[in-house]
Amino acid sequence: MSAEAKKSIDNLLLQGLLWRGGSAPALTGRPVLPSGFASLDESIGGGWPRGALVELLSEGPGLSLLLPALAALSREARWLAWVNAPWLPYAPALAVRGVDVSRVLLIRGRDGDQSLWATEQALRSGNCAAVMFWPQHISTARARRLQLAAEEGDCLGVLFRSRKLVRQSSMAALRLEVQPSGEKLEVHVLKRPAGWGGRRLLL
Amino acid sequence: MQWLGLYFPDLPLDVFWSGETDTPLAVTRRRKGRDIIDRCNVSARQQGIRPGMPLNAALVLYPGLHLHERDAKGEQQRLEAIAAWAWNYSSRISFDPLLLLLEVGGSAKLFGGIDILLERLCTDTRAPVAVEYHALAPSPGAAALLARLRPGCRVGATRELREALGDIPLAQLTRDARLLNLMQGIGLSSLGDALDLPRPELARRVGQEALRLLDRLLGRAPDPRPLWQPPARFHQSLLLLAEIGQAPALQFPARRLVEALCAFLHSRDAAVQQLHWRFLHRDAPPSQLDQGMLTPSNQAGHLLELFRQHLENLQLPEAVVEMELRVDAWQAADKIHGDLFAPARHEDQGFLERLRARLGEDSVRGLQGRPDHRPEKRWRYRDPLPAREDTPCREVFSPGETGVPLWLLPRPRRLRQRNGQPWHEDCLQLRAFSRRIETGWWDGEDVARDYYRARNPAGQELWVYRDRRSGHWYLQGVFE
Repeated sequence: MSAEAKKSIDNLLLQGLLWRGGSAPALTGRPVLPSGFASLDESIGGGWPRGALVELLSEGPGLSLLLPALAALSREARWLAWVNAPWLPYAPALAVRGVDVSRVLLIRGRDGDQSLWATEQALRSGNCAAVMFWPQHISTARARRLQLAAEEGDCLGVLFRSRKLVRQSSMAALRLEVQPSGEKLEVHVLKRPAGWGGRRLLL
Repeated sequence: MQWLGLYFPDLPLDVFWSGETDTPLAVTRRRKGRDIIDRCNVSARQQGIRPGMPLNAALVLYPGLHLHERDAKGEQQRLEAIAAWAWNYSSRISFDPLLLLLEVGGSAKLFGGIDILLERLCTDTRAPVAVEYHALAPSPGAAALLARLRPGCRVGATRELREALGDIPLAQLTRDARLLNLMQGIGLSSLGDALDLPRPELARRVGQEALRLLDRLLGRAPDPRPLWQPPARFHQSLLLLAEIGQAPALQFPARRLVEALCAFLHSRDAAVQQLHWRFLHRDAPPSQLDQGMLTPSNQAGHLLELFRQHLENLQLPEAVVEMELRVDAWQAADKIHGDLFAPARHEDQGFLERLRARLGEDSVRGLQGRPDHRPEKRWRYRDPLPAREDTPCREVFSPGETGVPLWLLPRPRRLRQRNGQPWHEDCLQLRAFSRRIETGWWDGEDVARDYYRARNPAGQELWVYRDRRSGHWYLQGVFE
């Protein structure tokens, strides 16, 4: 590359007109929340995106990935909402990992429609720092509404969905496939903001 | 004294809630054994129906006419609802049929003059009905007469009354037929005619009664009237012109009741926490709906919003013909303004309230730790409000409490056994002894358990225990 060309590329970069895949999180312009796992942060653009929707595709585990972030969020005076969680989060286990249990809000909808409605309300309200939702089924249009609601409420929205949906396209800003691998978790970054997915890591 | 007369000619029609539709509607009254049309709405007028027409004639003109007898009780109730709002402008309120009389001479000073008071009152958006017919006069009787017959009239001083009332027909003075006959018999037809006669002459010809009535009207004699006292309880009902079969549609007529309630609350600076709704059907017993709120409120918008959410869970056995709203207790509103420095809390309550109204109270809960060794009693649900001041439950947890699963089953699930091994979907591989618990002898739910970490073939880590008394295996938690 000639010096001239390099200079003009630098110029474009400086003006923010050129976007470089996989570069520093500062470029995304979106506030992030450190996940507590350095290698994960590096692969998803600095941490969990705030005010956005994250999809975790897994047949069970996944919550433990979020716990350090939840611990940090529980120090805000806002709720951590759990909508239709498969079981009860065990209070002592949360407390041991630093999550303030008094911020936990358990929500259960009678049917898919109610749960979606409650999730959207919680995301949009601004009263929740994080909303975790285990949906039965969710259409792209509804997922888009949730994404907008998360932006509006400055809330971390997390959808826990089945790994069967890996091939489906999604509205979420960040998509991770999670599966147990021995004692560890294998995380496959399917999609991330401001960068290319595709990385696999063991946590 | 300055009396403001407010006349509501459409009140007999107004007591029936007809929604936004222009169904031709008329109310009837009996005269000499016959039913005649007393009042009708604009749509009925367009069909050629006029007040005073016999009922049969009206039905010939428009067979689909909605008809009701005049509902004196409903009219009084509606008038009291208006009075609750008018209480903002004067605390001395009296009623005449279809009329509200407010003594505003005293309260005008508070508003900075009678003009400002009148303008505010006529443009008040909280008014339950539009104020179109009003008149000011120094005596209540004159204010009532003028509001009905000369709306917009303002008489400031007693001496001007004579002129203002002069051409009003004498028939308006009293309903006493004998007295009227007597007066008309000597050639009097208007109030002015009667006032032109010398007093002794009038007294001699028609008696003291007529003089007394005229004196009161002109403010020369006191006209004591019972003053309205705001009721201690709120209880109002609304007749629905068209039956409502779908629960969500009840929100529209509900607005009127809620607004009446809010006027009632504002007049005493109060707020409510519990609303009782009753929906009456033709045959089925009434349906009930209790609307509870986390914090007292007196905002119509807020109350209606929650009512809407509650309607989602209401099952109606039949269409609704009448609805009632009752409130038994309220509290001073100043208590609800809360802490100046915690404005977010109020929003927080609104958010939780919305969720609870739609999902039910048991579906929106917080979590709390308890000091107990039995995992199923180590936690409990708690009311998410009040949240911030609650004693933090962190101290209940000890940092050494590791090796416990992140997820707990709502209650332990008994596992099948094969060859003495626990079985859940497949054979479970016991990996590590976790702990022994022997506790609870004091409350009759004593347990003796050995906990293990186990793994199923899918790689999931489970928390299982063996009941040492029965030897049964149970699944209680899931690690991740």
